Amino acid sequence: MDTDLVRRAQGGDQEAFADLVHALADRFLAVSHRILSDIDLAEDATQQALLNVWQDLRQLRDPARFDAWSYRLLVRACYAEGRKSRRWAPNLRLLSVDEPMVVDGVSAVVDRDQLERAFRSLSLNHRTVVVLHHYLDLPLDRVAEIVGAPVGTVGSRLHYATGQLRSALIADAQPTTREVAR
Amino acid sequence: MSDFNAPDRDVTRAIRSWLHEDRHEDASRIAAAVLDRVESTPRRRVSWWPARRTPTVSKILGFAGAAAIVVAVILGARLLGSPAPSRPGTAATPSPSASVEPSAAPSAAEPSASVGGGLQGPYVFAGTPGVATTISISTPGWYDEDGALIWNHTGGDPPEGAGVLGFTESDLWYVPADPCHWASTLPATHAASLDALVAALAAQASRDASAPAEFTVSGHAGKSITLHVPDDAVFNRCDQTQFCTWANPVVSPAAPCFRHHQAPGQIDEFWIVNVDGQLVAFDLAYYAATPQHVIDEMHAFVTSATFAP
Repeated sequence: MDTDLVRRAQGGDQEAFADLVHALADRFLAVSHRILSDIDLAEDATQQALLNVWQDLRQLRDPARFDAWSYRLLVRACYAEGRKSRRWAPNLRLLSVDEPMVVDGVSAVVDRDQLERAFRSLSLNHRTVVVLHHYLDLPLDRVAEIVGAPVGTVGSRLHYATGQLRSALIADAQPTTREVAR
Repeated sequence: MSDFNAPDRDVTRAIRSWLHEDRHEDASRIAAAVLDRVESTPRRRVSWWPARRTPTVSKILGFAGAAAIVVAVILGARLLGSPAPSRPGTAATPSPSASVEPSAAPSAAEPSASVGGGLQGPYVFAGTPGVATTISISTPGWYDEDGALIWNHTGGDPPEGAGVLGFTESDLWYVPADPCHWASTLPATHAASLDALVAALAAQASRDASAPAEFTVSGHAGKSITLHVPDDAVFNRCDQTQFCTWANPVVSPAAPCFRHHQAPGQIDEFWIVNVDGQLVAFDLAYYAATPQHVIDEMHAFVTSATFAP
């Protein structure tokens, strides 16, 4: 983000803040939609995060860190929205990472419904790491900074989420495999 | 076609491709709504707190202001401490009549700082209507995730993860008889007293509950009990895919369970304190592989707890 623009917005320049909002809104909505898997919650999270940017911008000491700082506000807004639909959303374990993979070499067709379903089974913590890393292409240390967790924890979450998604995809593929076998 | 027996590479490719699909979001309406509200939205003053602390504080204040019903404090790996027990699941449970006095008297007005990779100092639980609950975090490696959740550096996941949740609801505990089929086994009334709540937890099916034990913290009497999530529990077969210890169908009918668990094998030490008629419950959640020193740290958090009206 343009640091001059951030500085002007910090100083109360509403035109500069409007430029920031227009630069951020689409990206915020895209990220929150993917984390929350619900467009209504995502819109609320985006709006709240942008208002929080306005409210807290003067507390940002280094404008060069605006991107990470603003994403942190967005992630927090997503957690808050997520809680509205699920009190203290825990990490649901629908499938074990250690579950043996038994596709017998038959490739599975991946469609978006399979991924959507598997992704929804992950906790918000895991979804957030997946989206920040795989959608925004942020390295793990940047993701760690945004979610406020150690890099090792973020790496562990990413590994776990990937394993869960793979297990779910395999599980979804198994009926198809059996059908083929018949 | 993708072969998911292949390394994570194929899964990663599928995930990335799916995430980058165009979902036709349009944020122009949101941007307009935000800009409309800027004039009437006051900006916060510059704080001299460490940068990482600010969002946490904001969150805490937000929670308190909203008079949230649940104050969930999840601390990563093992919290409670001393008066207690050796490790539930392997042996004993809280020692009877343990007397726990706070090791420090943290100031409720001064939330934890983020120091050296984690929270340190007094930590005020967010959203505790009626009872301001503060613990002292004296060891590094604890992280507040969103103002209501605090994790050990290992995270809250198995095999070694752990966390602490804090609940301060004196009249909101509906304990189902069956934590898996909880929706149909909720009681007609909540557990309104310390004894009733502990008795309901002790009676919950499949939890391998310990015998309740008495303790005191900061001059307040309490009872502790340790429950287990069975190793062979299949959450996917439970109501709403949740293994649920307690719920509140009155306040939150759409999503009533507010303590559902992370994974089979999870161990939960519930330390429930009667603070002048209000119940405050700490739930220390961890696993069999969680190192003892982390559990000791969690115990220390609980023994440091102070309460204010």
